[in-house]
Amino acid sequence: MATALGPAPGTGADALRRGTTARLRWRTGFDRWVGYLLPLLFLVALVPIAYLVYFVSAKALPGLSWAVLTSSADYQIHDALGVPIVTTFLFMLLATAIAVAIGVLGGVAAAEFLPERSAGWMRMSANMLVGMPSVIIGYFGYFAFVLYFHWGLSFLAGVVTLAFFMSPYVFRTVDLAFSSIPRPIREAAFGSGARPVQYLLRVGTPIAFPQILTGVFLAMAIGVGETAPIVLTVEPGLLVPTGAFQPAVFTTYLIWTGFNQPPGDVAYTLAFQAAFLVIVVVLALNVVVRVVAARYRQRLEGLYQ
Amino acid sequence: MTEPPDPATGTGPEPVPPPAAAPPARRGWLRSLGRAVPYLPAAAPAAIVVAVAITLLLASGFHNFGWDFFGLKFNSDQGVWGVGVLIVGSFLTAVPALVLSMLLGLGIAIASTTYLPRALARVLDPTVDLLAGIPSVVYGIWAFVAVAPWFGRVLNPWLASHLAFVPGFAANSISPSSEGVGLPIAIFVLTLMALPITTLLIRDALRSVPRDLWESGLALGATRWEVVRRVALRHGRRGVWSAAFLGFGRAIGETVAVAMVIGAVDKLPSNAYDSTWTMAAFMFQELDAAFGSSRYLELLAELGLVLLAITFAVNLIGRRLVAHLYAEEVAGL
Repeated sequence: MATALGPAPGTGADALRRGTTARLRWRTGFDRWVGYLLPLLFLVALVPIAYLVYFVSAKALPGLSWAVLTSSADYQIHDALGVPIVTTFLFMLLATAIAVAIGVLGGVAAAEFLPERSAGWMRMSANMLVGMPSVIIGYFGYFAFVLYFHWGLSFLAGVVTLAFFMSPYVFRTVDLAFSSIPRPIREAAFGSGARPVQYLLRVGTPIAFPQILTGVFLAMAIGVGETAPIVLTVEPGLLVPTGAFQPAVFTTYLIWTGFNQPPGDVAYTLAFQAAFLVIVVVLALNVVVRVVAARYRQRLEGLYQ
Repeated sequence: MTEPPDPATGTGPEPVPPPAAAPPARRGWLRSLGRAVPYLPAAAPAAIVVAVAITLLLASGFHNFGWDFFGLKFNSDQGVWGVGVLIVGSFLTAVPALVLSMLLGLGIAIASTTYLPRALARVLDPTVDLLAGIPSVVYGIWAFVAVAPWFGRVLNPWLASHLAFVPGFAANSISPSSEGVGLPIAIFVLTLMALPITTLLIRDALRSVPRDLWESGLALGATRWEVVRRVALRHGRRGVWSAAFLGFGRAIGETVAVAMVIGAVDKLPSNAYDSTWTMAAFMFQELDAAFGSSRYLELLAELGLVLLAITFAVNLIGRRLVAHLYAEEVAGL
């Protein structure tokens, strides 16, 4: 068995063990048993995630049909997910657009135009924002947008709060993508007379693009599963919002309101169906992130060897 | 690319001739303005952080609740709000969850870096990262519907009968009506949610230990366990500490999943299986209740400031410890 550390005890260690003390036998034996037992800890991660996906699927799939997904009926009475799905799509479209605008501009500026010291501060605050509990962001949205800006519990307040929540993830990946462009490439571009904007558009962006994309998908995966910022800033609506100040319903809101209802209740059924959809979307986005990241790495290796 | 002049002969590369006509110098203030422009977008995350803090400060109205604010008496009907109950609740869930997820994280990271074949580790590592992708509210509904009843029926009584000698764990105090919600299931969910962070950071810390150190340890006759325990973990101790801080930050700020399984009762738990409340979950669930009571809203905002201060401090320390580590992998945390 070749491990990260080379050959396991067995070849050399066997030779050592002949005619050795009990102490050495205990040490190598302990090491071997640790090697057998520690990998079992992966089950602590594997079993819950498998059980979670299985349980939610088993609860959601029997009742889930195309009719349920597209029905625009009242979700408080009927098993209908059309309105929440379309509304969530609108939420994500607008929030992602704002978060990408903030994150891409900020990340590029921090990586390319700011002195290292200032950029470090900006990175630190992006990290702080990522570490901030979602309920705090929700309260910020509630006090700032809902109350002080008089937007009310509205679609717009939720979109902006969600965008603020997602933006540091985009910021960090974009910053990282542009910071990690090899120096020779940068110098070649500027050395051949490129202006900063030309460098950014013709050289930097093509190289950094896949990584920027992973950042955007990551932010979407985090945004689509978020509950607190939306529940605290938006009034759940029965229709797809057509204006900025209208009520709107986010998919995770259905999970939050239905989880403790009696089984068989519409809210309970909807909660599991919504949870299933969210899992599917989040896992799909995560897979895309991994695939793009892996391809990007291969491309990078091919380019700079 | 310029080469240094050869000191022996004194000849270097051809000196670059100065440009024939220098471009007209822009005016000074315009240039410094141009240099300041990038700060505007780059400061967006910093601006949001500051805006959050200022908004909460304004919302708190700088109201002085006095020392009662941190007291343990809580009764919203009588207007007695001691959030000490919630702070205790937060720590009672976050600290055990952190300890568990650090132990598991250490074990998984050591297994992955030291004992498993590379190919197998490459397959298994992403499964732990997947845990980070599951949304909080999905953990919550799964834990509440699928796992909590099992906790109430099996695990809590088992713990009660086997740990009866530990204060607070005695068997006679499990409330049968709780259906498993309470501290243990909250700790379980938080452990799972903190696990990807702790595992990732510890794994990274162990990976960054120079190969020479591993090899010299092994060459001296140490077993793999002894090298990990005495060399690698010591070398990567900053990473391990940062895992603890960042994992704690995640655990104490976790909102929705905890709100679903903690039981949401504004009192101290009377035993290890009892319901209680945490700061984040309380804020999340009580905003509706605060409607129309400006005093209550101020209290919630001040509670938010306390939670913000705690997570801020914890994250700052944790990030500082791994300041060099701003890698792609960590971008997801």
